[in-house]
Amino acid sequence: MSFDLQRIIESKREMRRKLAGRPVAEKLAMLDALRDRARTILKAATRRETALLRESQPEYRVNPRKD
Amino acid sequence: MIDVSIDQIISLINRMEADGIVERYAIGGAVGATFYLEPVATLDVDIFVAVPQKPGQVLLDLRPIHDYLTARGGVVEGEYIVLAGWPVQFLPPTSPLVEEALADAVTVDVDGTPARVFTAEHLAAVALQTGRAKDKARLLQFVEAGVLKAERFQAILVLHGLVDRWREFERTFLRTMP
Repeated sequence: MSFDLQRIIESKREMRRKLAGRPVAEKLAMLDALRDRARTILKAATRRETALLRESQPEYRVNPRKD
Repeated sequence: MIDVSIDQIISLINRMEADGIVERYAIGGAVGATFYLEPVATLDVDIFVAVPQKPGQVLLDLRPIHDYLTARGGVVEGEYIVLAGWPVQFLPPTSPLVEEALADAVTVDVDGTPARVFTAEHLAAVALQTGRAKDKARLLQFVEAGVLKAERFQAILVLHGLVDRWREFERTFLRTMP
């Protein structure tokens, strides 16, 4: 498999140029969609973080007895 | 809560300006940048406002904005007013650069709705002045997209004492750019 990084970068740049050139109303509608996606990702990331926190040290080690 | 998207938020802000709640508004931040660049995900909308002040009033009062928008379905959450999931932040100009950006903002037609937005040069200069990682990334987008009018941008940098900061930015990010 060939891997031409320069070509990939250039194609990404071209896609960004095309997106930038779209009508403003269309780009604002894209922002709405992007925000919804970002919120979904954030929710998933928060859920993952919560799960990771459950795997942290058990409480008895966090609060050692003082006697 | 009413269901609105960004273009409907713009209509609402236009009405708010026509009703005299704000003297002038302009869209900045990532949403403002979208008028010139490709859209980039953002979670909030920054709207810069000049608000009418009573004689002798020293502190800016954003309550009339909050009252106006909450009466139309907005929900105040800390510094934001949430309009159907879009947290909108109203920002009074805090520097001469932002004051100038607000004064020089241009009106763009969005499918028949006028929207006032900072110029690309002011958005880039504000990003340079603010200087967080995401601001630097936005500034790079502006440079790469080639939408900045060099003469105008340079004049803003000189007027607002940002030349050294630009040179530093240039040294760090633009020397190796293909």
